[in-house]
Amino acid sequence: MNKDDTIKTILIIEDDRFIGEMYVRSLQRSGFTVDWISSGGDGLIAACQKEYDLILLDVMLPGKQGNDILRQLRSDGEDKIPHSRIIVFTNFDQDDASRAAMQANADGYLIKADITPKRLIEIIGGMKRRNGAES
Amino acid sequence: MALGHRIADYYPRHRRRLVLLSAYMQFVTTATLCVLFYLSGIDPVVAAIYVILPVVFLQTFMLIIVVRYSLGPVDVLSRVIAHVSNEVNDVTPPNINNGYFQRTGLKALVDTVYALALKDSEGADRPNKPSASLELTSAILSAFPCGVIALDAHRNIIYANNRAPISEDTMGNKSVSLLFQGDDTLESWLAANETNSVTSDHMWSRVQTSEPETPSRKICDVIATYSKNSPEGLETLILTVDRTDHYAVDEEDMDFIALAAHELRGPITVIRGYLDVLSEELKDQLQPDQIELFKRLSVSASRLGGYVGNILNVSHYDRRHMQLHLHEDTLSAVYATIADDLALRASTQGRLLSVIIPDDLPTIAADRNSLTEVLANLVDNAIKYSNEGGSVEVMAVVDGGFVTLSVTDHGIGIPSSVIGHLFSKFYRSHRSRQSISGTGLGLYISKAIVESHGGRIGVSSSEGHGSTFRFSIPIYSTVADKLKNSDNGNGSIIETSNGWIKNHSKFEG
Repeated sequence: MNKDDTIKTILIIEDDRFIGEMYVRSLQRSGFTVDWISSGGDGLIAACQKEYDLILLDVMLPGKQGNDILRQLRSDGEDKIPHSRIIVFTNFDQDDASRAAMQANADGYLIKADITPKRLIEIIGGMKRRNGAES
Repeated sequence: MALGHRIADYYPRHRRRLVLLSAYMQFVTTATLCVLFYLSGIDPVVAAIYVILPVVFLQTFMLIIVVRYSLGPVDVLSRVIAHVSNEVNDVTPPNINNGYFQRTGLKALVDTVYALALKDSEGADRPNKPSASLELTSAILSAFPCGVIALDAHRNIIYANNRAPISEDTMGNKSVSLLFQGDDTLESWLAANETNSVTSDHMWSRVQTSEPETPSRKICDVIATYSKNSPEGLETLILTVDRTDHYAVDEEDMDFIALAAHELRGPITVIRGYLDVLSEELKDQLQPDQIELFKRLSVSASRLGGYVGNILNVSHYDRRHMQLHLHEDTLSAVYATIADDLALRASTQGRLLSVIIPDDLPTIAADRNSLTEVLANLVDNAIKYSNEGGSVEVMAVVDGGFVTLSVTDHGIGIPSSVIGHLFSKFYRSHRSRQSISGTGLGLYISKAIVESHGGRIGVSSSEGHGSTFRFSIPIYSTVADKLKNSDNGNGSIIETSNGWIKNHSKFEG
């Protein structure tokens, strides 16, 4: 269990192997504990089974779409993972998509093509764990 | 006028009848005299020579004079009436300016006919024509392939044809059903007209009649004309042209562009990401020239990402789907998010980039993502259009209610003949097309983004000496009230979610 409030454990739900492995590699080298799941359904199970500090969630996924996963984790009656931050991580630059993510209580929305691994690590370094009381 | 009779034919017929009548009277008079002389026993030869022939001659002479004088005014009046009528004829109008017309008073009659004709043509004193004209106008407007709406001074609908986009509530109140994008609405235009204009015209394109996904939704171009205190009471006329089919094809194209851009972003993510990973992992093993090659790859990948971003934004903007989420920010913080990238772009291409953006400038109302795109476009252009070894200066100052940022290069400059086209879509000067890469979208979308912020963008240039592009963004305090009262997306996102992250934003939770 993470004692301080910095991000230590990260779950990446991403179907593109190149991108998934790239983030696993760079984040692990920076000291994070990283799990990578490539399908939506398995990603939802993994997010519920283990307490991650941060989940990077793609939108277009096989099996279950990212927005459905987000809704099930956060907005269907209860917050199933109150200690995890969720950032929607996609290349869809649609305003309604980011708005939908915000309405489903995601913590952020990032365009992958605009974020290098180095920049992502900087952003994660500036984040704090969710304390469980936030909604 | 009786049916079948032409006005122009009246006078010749009347004259013929009068001549025949005169001849008949002459015959009756001669016959009567002959009978009387025969009954009185007078020698017929003597009677013929001394009475009948002189009487016939004298009577013929008098009849000619009487007929001629009596027919003259009829001739003139019938020619005038034929002339002012709508009848097709070859009748020439009389010259009424000679003394005869003046002396006899015929000129007054003719003037009266002309005056009545003029009054008639202006539509006055025609008790039977207005209703016929109205029916005709109404029939034309109903058959017209566009929506037509007329509003009075109180903006009430006083006419709408059957193609007009009109909705009616349960109380029977009618309203114009047009969903305008942004601030440029029919309401705002009418409000501005009421205080600023006597007459005004305006046009909107791609206006929807109802929300997307509504089955009856149409996409129209709208033209409106306003005339204050119009005597007919028609203060505003609105014409809607249904362009749904045209724009539907356009929307499909745009959807394809959005999808294609999304697909392009995948490989760009991988290329940029692995370059980042590899350059980090290999930094101790690479030779300086190899590090330089990595930097060039990174810059090219970053630029490719910028092009895709421009294309996506243009597709949003052209569909009027581009929405900015303005919130309080500083220009130095916005620039900081891409400072490393721009510095790398400049250094790999041998330009000296100097940046002076004071941290203590007033905060601005900015959409960080969009504004970084403008900055990248302008700095990228300055690099492309300057010479190797040259300098590019980025500087920000306060300018009234705005913060103005300028990007100056000392390169080839821009001919004055092309400056007016620089911000047009796809515009690339002849010289650019020959030697410098680009899409012709960067300045177009930059202008759209800056103006959507409520700012302005411009350029000054001296050919052969360089150019300065400037854009100004409103200081936050000058627009804060307006933003708080509007549905401005991210304003509320940031406040309610306590640390909403969007690209390049710092996490504040």
